[in-house]
Amino acid sequence: MRRTVCLAALPVALLALAAVGVIGALGQEKAPPITRINAQVLGPQPLGPLPPVMHPPGNPPSAAKIRLGKELYFDTRLSADGTIACATCHNPALGWSDKGPTSEGIHGQLGGRRAPPVSNAAYSPLQFWDGRSPSLEDQAKGPIQNPVEMGNTHEAMIQTVSKISAYQDEFKAVYGEGPITVDQVAEAIACFERTVVTTDSRFDRYARGDHGSLTRLEKEGLEIFNGKGHCTACHWGPYFSDGRFHNLGVPHADPKNPDAGRFAVTKDPRDRGAFKTPTVRDASRRAPYLHDGSEKTLESLIDFYDRGGGRDPNLDPLMVPLGLSAREKAALVAFIKALDSLNPEVADVKPIAAKDLPR
Amino acid sequence: MRKTLTTILAVLAAVLVLSQAALAIPAFARKHAFNCNMCHVAYPKLNDFGQRFRDNGYQIPGQQGLEKTVFQSAFPVGVRTSAGYNLYGAGGQTAGGFHVFGLDLFSGGVVKKNVSYFFVYTPRIDDPAADFNGPGAGDNPSQLASVESAAVVFSNIVRDKLNLRVGRFEPDFHLLSSRRSYYLLQPYEIYDFAGTRSSFDFAANQIGLEATGRFKPGLRYALGYINGTGGTPDNNKLNDLYLTLSKVFGKGEGQSAGQRIGAFGYLGWQPTSTLGSIVSPIGDLNGEGNKTFYRVGGDISLNWRTFNLEGVAFYGSDDRAFNEIDPTRRYDFWGGVAELDWAGCPDNRLVASVMYNWIRPPSDDGIHRVDAYSALARYYVGSWSAVDIAIHAEYTHRVSGSVAKFKENLVTLLIDLAF
Repeated sequence: MRRTVCLAALPVALLALAAVGVIGALGQEKAPPITRINAQVLGPQPLGPLPPVMHPPGNPPSAAKIRLGKELYFDTRLSADGTIACATCHNPALGWSDKGPTSEGIHGQLGGRRAPPVSNAAYSPLQFWDGRSPSLEDQAKGPIQNPVEMGNTHEAMIQTVSKISAYQDEFKAVYGEGPITVDQVAEAIACFERTVVTTDSRFDRYARGDHGSLTRLEKEGLEIFNGKGHCTACHWGPYFSDGRFHNLGVPHADPKNPDAGRFAVTKDPRDRGAFKTPTVRDASRRAPYLHDGSEKTLESLIDFYDRGGGRDPNLDPLMVPLGLSAREKAALVAFIKALDSLNPEVADVKPIAAKDLPR
Repeated sequence: MRKTLTTILAVLAAVLVLSQAALAIPAFARKHAFNCNMCHVAYPKLNDFGQRFRDNGYQIPGQQGLEKTVFQSAFPVGVRTSAGYNLYGAGGQTAGGFHVFGLDLFSGGVVKKNVSYFFVYTPRIDDPAADFNGPGAGDNPSQLASVESAAVVFSNIVRDKLNLRVGRFEPDFHLLSSRRSYYLLQPYEIYDFAGTRSSFDFAANQIGLEATGRFKPGLRYALGYINGTGGTPDNNKLNDLYLTLSKVFGKGEGQSAGQRIGAFGYLGWQPTSTLGSIVSPIGDLNGEGNKTFYRVGGDISLNWRTFNLEGVAFYGSDDRAFNEIDPTRRYDFWGGVAELDWAGCPDNRLVASVMYNWIRPPSDDGIHRVDAYSALARYYVGSWSAVDIAIHAEYTHRVSGSVAKFKENLVTLLIDLAF
């Protein structure tokens, strides 16, 4: 009797403590605002339109810097042999990614992963599939000196850019007197990338109250996306990504030399084979899918999830078979297509022709 | 009768209209901005994600410490209730009426990483009315005020392998959960069967301590030490023990994917006499002379597409002191339930199910044999952010007794609300 009373009293006491905490919280402090960083800490957020992009204090935007960044983004001269630009793999016409399945770099070399989309990358707290880079500025430096991507060195790239008089003038206008640095190149590219933001899609219009902007099938797809399909377990919030890392059990192309994913960065065994959740926005424009491009279409990708992913000892516990019907799969595809950007300034960005780049 | 039917139709029409703008969702779904079907095949039945969520202390699996606590979100409270029309027939007589069949107020959430709670309070309901002849006929109130659950969960004490649940909770030998069953009127009969003089309620939430965990591949265990008297304090100085083991073949938890098989054993003691003023289950007055009872059984859950065939069967044996019919030997019985569920329409908005319950008492017990055949259909209405209203139709044909068979029919149409 005494023991049972004690056991029953424990949760009651904890509930009382919780109530005191809530009352205290109401009186003293509000929950912190949802920023790009703490959204990752606080967990799932509702789907909805993207908020304005936050620029880091150390890299404020300007029209001149954005223009400079765009030119650098499309300039193949940043690579060792003048054949590869950022846009080669992050192609606006291919959903700011590439044709895949994995990215092709200098001298036709194939990488092990496909290019993550640049569109809306401004909202991702960590860059690259394994999150090894904490910012767009840091990310922009990586591929330049990656031997299978642009195959250059930072020093050689700076020498090349510094010899182009039009670039000299533009860097001077943005950064003032002084030598061009790799940080300035990266900052300008990142500044441009923060303009590649999709604020308008038929889903966004629906979320803003225009309920006629989605078809009945697309609305079904939204319901499934946020329920039976379990999509929002990872693809949540306005960015449609938790920015976290998950092992989906994607079969390894080379089982003897598996891609360690996030584990290569953290050395945490729980991260072995885990890759960053990509945004679903504009997904229909950048097939194939998954970090290695192993799923060719949205339909086959949904089939993959419907099976509960692949097999892996470190398979994420969020992965379970879904039991989706053919109609539910079709509804999901329809909804994902409703996330395609209607922003012409993003969807219709044309590469800057070589003749129009700074000389 | 006509007035009642008109009322029901009006309520159903109102629900259908209002549901187009419905945004209210239960506490966990509201916190995470998920639809109910993230965790439920169709509420209240858990899917594999929901089972892992529950096992993980109401935290998203694998995401412990990376979500809002109850102090950082709207305080998580929820309500579930069901009300509707019920028609009962037995022995050539029929009776019907409009009733509130249940009301639960609940709260649950994460206090801090790997520490969470779940609390359910059921207020008193002075219903069914005096003319009610269905299950629970003669009971008034139909629902007593009680703290059905009040438990704290300490998760991942050893990652995935050891979680502790303390307080009053639904024991894990209910892998086929009567509380998350689609059936609202027809119980799992064997859960409610207590023999002739025992008061042990297999279906009840218990007060105590439970350790749970899982091992790869698909092995799961629960070990409990509980009072065995539900929420009722008693003078039973001996607590009860149970162990459950289950194994899932394939991906999932056996709720909506994968094939699960499990076994459990329960060993308990009850006094045959009491000390003090509290009367023992069998009415003696001394509080001593504890005698044993046990339950041993298994459960199975098989999934194919959106079909789920699940069942539980167990053997019960009570000390002869609890055998009212023949006190010279133990009271042994067995029984079970087999249920086939199907979910269809986009997002599982339509659910259909058939179920068979049976109880087989000792051969000299001519009263407690039960065969019950049930069927139901549920349709869920709601908006894109929530599916939390179900229109529910349920039918049961029940035959009890082996000497003189008593046949009953129960038809129910109701609205099941959770928000």
